[in-house]
Amino acid sequence: MNRREEAVRIQRTLAVAATVALLAVAGACGSEDSDDKASGGGPDKADLVVWINGTDTPQEARDWLKKTFEEQNPGSTLTIEQQEWEGLVERFTTALTSEDQAPDVVEVGNTQAPTFTTVGAFSDLTDDLDDLGGDDLLQGFVDGATIDGKTYAVPYYAGSTYVFYRKDLFKKAGITEVPTTMDEFVEAAGKLKAESGEKDFSGYWLPGKDWRDAAALLWNADGDFAVPDGDEWKGNLSSDESVAGLTAFQDLYESASGAAADANEADPVTPFCAGKIGMMSRPGWVYGMLTDKKSGCPDLAKQVGVFALPGDDGEPAPVLLGGSDIAIPAKSPNQDLARKALALMLSDDYQSILAKAGLTPAKESLASALGDDEFAQASIEAASNAKLTPAAANWATVEGKMILEDLFSQIAQGGDVEELAAEADETLTAELN
Amino acid sequence: MPPPAVRRRSLLPLGLVLPASLALGLALGYPLVRQVVLSLQEFGLAQQFGQPPTWIGLGNYRELLGGDDLWPVVRRTVVFCFANAALTFGIGVGLALLMARMSRVVRVATQVGLLLAWAMPVVAAMTVFQFLFDRDYGVVNAALTGLGLDYDGHNWLIEPWSFFMVATIVVVWMSVPFVAFTVHASLTQVPEDVVEAAEIDGAGAWQRFVHVVLPSIRPVLVVVAMLQVIWDLRVFTQIYSLQRAGGTTDETHLLGTYIHALGIKGGDFGMASAAAMFMLALTVVLTAPYIVMMIKQEREH
Amino acid sequence: MARRTPFVARLGADVVGLVVLLICLFPVYWMVSRSFLPRNRIKGESPEVVPLHGTLDNYRTVFDDGSFAKALVTSLSVTLLTVVVALLFAFLAAVAVSRFRFRGRWAFIAVLLVIQMIPAEALFISQYKMLDGMGLLNSVIGLTLVYVAAVLPFTVWTLRSFVEGVPRELEEAAMIDGCSRPQAFFQVTFPLLAPGLIATGVFAFIQAWNEFTLAVVAMTDPEKKTLPVWLVAFTDNRSKGVDWGAIMASSTLITIPVIVFFMIVQHRMVTGLTAGAVKG
Repeated sequence: MNRREEAVRIQRTLAVAATVALLAVAGACGSEDSDDKASGGGPDKADLVVWINGTDTPQEARDWLKKTFEEQNPGSTLTIEQQEWEGLVERFTTALTSEDQAPDVVEVGNTQAPTFTTVGAFSDLTDDLDDLGGDDLLQGFVDGATIDGKTYAVPYYAGSTYVFYRKDLFKKAGITEVPTTMDEFVEAAGKLKAESGEKDFSGYWLPGKDWRDAAALLWNADGDFAVPDGDEWKGNLSSDESVAGLTAFQDLYESASGAAADANEADPVTPFCAGKIGMMSRPGWVYGMLTDKKSGCPDLAKQVGVFALPGDDGEPAPVLLGGSDIAIPAKSPNQDLARKALALMLSDDYQSILAKAGLTPAKESLASALGDDEFAQASIEAASNAKLTPAAANWATVEGKMILEDLFSQIAQGGDVEELAAEADETLTAELN
Repeated sequence: MPPPAVRRRSLLPLGLVLPASLALGLALGYPLVRQVVLSLQEFGLAQQFGQPPTWIGLGNYRELLGGDDLWPVVRRTVVFCFANAALTFGIGVGLALLMARMSRVVRVATQVGLLLAWAMPVVAAMTVFQFLFDRDYGVVNAALTGLGLDYDGHNWLIEPWSFFMVATIVVVWMSVPFVAFTVHASLTQVPEDVVEAAEIDGAGAWQRFVHVVLPSIRPVLVVVAMLQVIWDLRVFTQIYSLQRAGGTTDETHLLGTYIHALGIKGGDFGMASAAAMFMLALTVVLTAPYIVMMIKQEREH
Repeated sequence: MARRTPFVARLGADVVGLVVLLICLFPVYWMVSRSFLPRNRIKGESPEVVPLHGTLDNYRTVFDDGSFAKALVTSLSVTLLTVVVALLFAFLAAVAVSRFRFRGRWAFIAVLLVIQMIPAEALFISQYKMLDGMGLLNSVIGLTLVYVAAVLPFTVWTLRSFVEGVPRELEEAAMIDGCSRPQAFFQVTFPLLAPGLIATGVFAFIQAWNEFTLAVVAMTDPEKKTLPVWLVAFTDNRSKGVDWGAIMASSTLITIPVIVFFMIVQHRMVTGLTAGAVKG
């Protein structure tokens, strides 16, 4: 066994040596341990591979990227390989460790990114930040991907959830104005539910496992999942503020939600179209699903209005900022060309195409490209006070192990908030450090 | 079991097992050795990306076996495994025996039905079962409510016992076809003339079964029973999908999903490998009776 | 044996068979029938048990961009190659362990047994590294290699039981009639193994056909996706939600080749058995 391990280690050493040699020949060094700031390198011409997840990036943007890149870099090609969110962590864990297989640019979920930054999966982009947009880039995203002053991923697009509501049901329940504070919102949700009288009707649709939307209640009460504690992270769910936030979640679930306590937020369309939802927090693109005559219910969708979830103070509540980052795998042999492709994906032209498709662009200056209808307004407002999950390197473990899904689901089932929060804190502290 | 004819030392049998051995060695040799090695190291995502791992001897095993997480999972896994294996085996064998008695048309229809159930892609099967047991829009609740029972809005996955009941239905539904098929195939292999001879000698149906049919299908029965135990210990996909549909993840882990949560989801490949090695040992212990049975069979042969 | 079964027993067996058939088929029926419904009718207040006025839209979605055909070709190549190679290797090994005694025989059997017991969820990363080292990622050969190894333990074990299930006396009788040992084996024993070969063949086919865990990391090139990997594109999509209809339609399509494969080998089995009977 030892000999086998020896052989493996020798192989690995050889591979590393070969890589180092290759990178040295190419002129620069992109190794993750290196403090060399001039990261980059790679040939002048290459066939670049860009991994894009799912179908969110519109075809127009893909075509533009390929065409522009190939025009600007004669002799090189760019291929977009569409991957799926399902299995993405598995793919990163394998392909990004391989010299042969690592693509040159990857899209990654913004809460997944921190996990891959500290382990050396992505190249350091700190020096490129200014060229890529600098302060104009969505700062929350940049912060989330920055560890020890080095930034490993940049924002690609964002999307925060805002509240969809049924105008007709509002009228029926005698709610004349859109809620402007959290209290009014909670009251409206309860009224809608009472008005319908149905067990599975949601005044506010809040499936028990939907901690991403419930986070707004936690943050609104000044609580948080975890806080830094020296060099470490500490679970913070049992703090007084957090317990108040979690209790608000429990109350809201009990008084207004008809969704199952162990359900997630994957399918809002079915209950909405069955007329079982008065209000729900969803990303903007859900509207497209509702109005589609094959997947949704265009007639009911006509009754939809939107607003940004209000906080206690009447300002937009701190909702979870969702979206994607882009990064360059450290193992990509085409570091220089990959940076050029990355720059194109953050260019105003490209980002404007994304904005037209309803995705919040990665640069604040382009927010107006979203348009000025009520959806764009709600989207911009919601994002204005949005927050991220704790920027701990191991955060993805918390998501992967469904720790928060379990916690919120049990709270929704009527569990003892303080007790559950204390337990969850122990788990969080253990997982995050 | 010295076979009568070929007793001389011959290279032929070695040549016969060579291709299979090569394929196994090539595809599983390195991964298996690596798994053992990882289980002795502190090996996380950073190591996966090239940082040198630390050797910690049996540290992972100590943490695993000494922790509070593992044992409830083991208990659950063993109970689930035996319940499912027993149900699957009982139903499958019973069905195979019945198939031998069915009229031709019904038999072929049953076979095609079993095959369709077996062949349905797992993603589709899991999606359909989630549809069927859905709290608000499920057929099961609609049907039970239609029968006058109070199942409107009943949540099948939220309680662990009920979660595992649904899981059992899914797993058994998916595994019975394999057992029924294999056992039925072995039944068709029973030479007809031997059965006829027994009948002419005046053996009744039961005697024929015990003395002629059973001995000839017993090797297949033992293999199938053992495989069922092994597979039901390793069950993963069904639990994983159901966990994402509902229920409390932490209360519904079986060893397969537990290892998955430790490894790819939790980024601790050292612990995951240790848990996998533990599971291997557990499987050996649990299947020991079968192994003994098989060795005995060999001797009698 | 069927013809000797008394009428009442057969009727009973038939009734049970039909009930089983219904239970087996209900989820399959649900999949097929949902595949003809638009997405907004798949889940609804009262389930549509018999869907009327269906649509072919889901099938249009599936065939839309031509990626289904590519995935089908990859899946068929990997699966058929796996079945042929695994059955051949397993057959040879099964004959060796059940008809010969040789050094290392028990070791071989034990290794096969243990391999069955290793949880796959922990192995795939190492298998990825191995395929990467061999330059066999995004390759039909690479995936086939791992699948063959994955189904071999079962196929060898099961075929071995089938070989042992054939009484040696039958072969010996044939040898007394003047056949050589290999002749006796292939004329007497081999035809009797047909059911076993088919059962294990169907098993290998379905395993390779449905495998996901390794394929999702080993086949990242969109041109090289296998069907199960291709299928998840419909399950997990931020902007489009879960496309139940497309999942049901593509799953229906994915099920068909398995049935075709079974029909073909089933036919072979019947002819094989008849051939054996004539000669025996």
